[in-house]
Amino acid sequence: MKLFFLILLFTVQVSAQNNGQKWGKANYSYAIKIDDGQRDFSIDSKSPERLVLKSILDSYWFFISDVDGDNCSFSPTCSNFFLQAVRKTNLVQGTLMFFDRFTRDMDIYNKFDHYPEVEDGHFYDPVSLYTLNKNEIKYIPPSVVIKSE
Amino acid sequence: MKKIFLLFIFFFTTGFPQAVKQNEINLFSPANIKKFADYLFCSNDYLRAALEYEKYFSLYPNDSVKFKIATAYSKIGDYDKSALMFDSFTKSSELFPYAKMEYFKSLFQEKNYFRLRSSILNIDSINNFRFAYQAKELYYYSYLFTIDTLPPESIYLAHFDKTDIRQIKNFYEWKTDPPHKSPLLAALLSAVIPGAGKFYVDQVADGITALVATASLGYLSYTDFKAGHYFRGWLFGGLAAGFYAGNIYGSAAAAQIYNVKIQFDFENSIGVFINAKNFFTPGINFCK
Amino acid sequence: MKITVTIFLLTLICTAQNLFAQNEFSRQYNLALKFYDEGKFYDAVTECKRLIFFDADSQYTYCAYMLMGKSYKMGAKFSDAILNFTNAELNAKTSDEVFQSKIEIIRANILRRTTDRALQLLDELDDDKNFSSRTAGINYWRGWTYIFADKWKKAAVSFSKIDSCKQLEKLCRQVDDDKYSETFSYLISHFIPGAGQIYTGNYVSGILSLGWNVLWGYVTINSFAANRIFDGLIELNFLWLRFYNGNLQNAQKFAVYENQKIANKALYFLQFQYKGLKP
Repeated sequence: MKLFFLILLFTVQVSAQNNGQKWGKANYSYAIKIDDGQRDFSIDSKSPERLVLKSILDSYWFFISDVDGDNCSFSPTCSNFFLQAVRKTNLVQGTLMFFDRFTRDMDIYNKFDHYPEVEDGHFYDPVSLYTLNKNEIKYIPPSVVIKSE
Repeated sequence: MKKIFLLFIFFFTTGFPQAVKQNEINLFSPANIKKFADYLFCSNDYLRAALEYEKYFSLYPNDSVKFKIATAYSKIGDYDKSALMFDSFTKSSELFPYAKMEYFKSLFQEKNYFRLRSSILNIDSINNFRFAYQAKELYYYSYLFTIDTLPPESIYLAHFDKTDIRQIKNFYEWKTDPPHKSPLLAALLSAVIPGAGKFYVDQVADGITALVATASLGYLSYTDFKAGHYFRGWLFGGLAAGFYAGNIYGSAAAAQIYNVKIQFDFENSIGVFINAKNFFTPGINFCK
Repeated sequence: MKITVTIFLLTLICTAQNLFAQNEFSRQYNLALKFYDEGKFYDAVTECKRLIFFDADSQYTYCAYMLMGKSYKMGAKFSDAILNFTNAELNAKTSDEVFQSKIEIIRANILRRTTDRALQLLDELDDDKNFSSRTAGINYWRGWTYIFADKWKKAAVSFSKIDSCKQLEKLCRQVDDDKYSETFSYLISHFIPGAGQIYTGNYVSGILSLGWNVLWGYVTINSFAANRIFDGLIELNFLWLRFYNGNLQNAQKFAVYENQKIANKALYFLQFQYKGLKP
């Protein structure tokens, strides 16, 4: 799922001024915003291991994940996290990241204190925090609500 | 006498108020533009105020209006513009020292600390600059926001007001010796006892989960091997190894996140403090 | 004689001044209106503010606040719009103006999707004896409020009270008929896993759900039947109930999703093809 996020409560330097810019006609839609939760079932042929992994994940999503309910409290979901982790790093590091994520998912305490929430109620926990690259870590306080689309 | 009285009454009941009204009637006369701009400025409608003041300023340039335009831009976060305008005041202007301080403030808000410091150092060339002390405070405070080495503590603190010393001292100590956690140590701890690294970085519940997961899967694997169930033994053993290694990795990652988090909190605190202090800038209240 | 002439002359001048004053303000109002028509809503607001600031006698205050509200509405700044419509209401001089500004507040609330507030205001209008002759207008906006509250049946009822709104009534009834029952979908999936999904047209998901439930149900019951209680409990908890629960979630989720699609189709028509008055 694509995540656009908008930080609502950023009060670090100057409080936001909404009269700072001229504005004009806004696009407004009567339609209800729908989250269709569509999966990306595309084939990933960048490398053999990614092809295998993606195929396994596709099958898992189709046959199991989509019919066994919403069991992951995070966004992105654990399987998506795994996929993104492998794509961003490599199979070994991605697997380590997945095991760590799975451990954190099993932890039923204090998620509210540690992760910001996405509008749909899931906890926002992106791959970029765990690549061990310091510069990629963007800290978002748990009090922030992240908009999803 | 009667005639004069009647005329007098007439003027003051109808004619005079109308005459006054007529003065106000040209909504786009320079005086009315300024009046309207003042109203907008004082009702915090800064962009509109700036645009109106600019109309007036193009006809009657003066320092007070220029100051207000710059202030309005600063209020809406257009620090480029505000810095440029505040910097354009000449030394002969009465508002010069105020504008200079506002200029520093804009540079600070723009996070242009390098130019800020060089500009503040330049004020030594100005004789008797009225806010030299405040400018120095801002100068030294900016060190908290950059990676530059700070001056020794005693020299550093000597530049601040006594009432702020305690707070500034805390910031100074944090900045010179941030209470970061070591990712390597976190990983090592978790290698010795699964979950210990997470304890170290204040993620106690995650640590316990990791310990329980690794230990229980390890135990299952052990009993299965013992009972001769090799497939299950390998399966649970593999999972236990995964959780064990993942936790070591995760502890290092968690230490990094911890460091970023406390850095964020620190920057938040120093930001809140300098905002509360109005950037050591005296400011002028136009809306009394 | 002399004094009479003087007074006459002065009166003439004052009248001229008065006319001049009115023209100046009406010119200003037209300027704001021009910006509004040109789509320059920010500038329209500026000119309205200027008008209100100088118009000490509040001749144009009501109109200017209304125009400001409408400008904010065009910029989708509904809370600002409501604030200005409320100011317009406070400056209204006739009951017609009060009614118009209240309706604008309601319309902005509809677009802001604070439909509860809109309904509350509509109830207040209904109870107000001054507006007893305006029930058609009130019902019209009540209908729109229910549309935005996703209560299409109630919307249809509101429109049915107005003779000229048969098209809207029909549309709302159609949407209400087309929509799936979320409760029914959820309920039948309790008895036959996957039934709710099939009811909402998601056949593959429904059959998969049914398959998993049959499989794990069979395995679980077998374990219990063979007296392998521990295995049975594990299978029941981690496999059968997991998929059974997922089946219930999907039954509800798909019904909501399909209903949103149906509603959106109608909303699209209302926004872009419907010719009548819209919020």
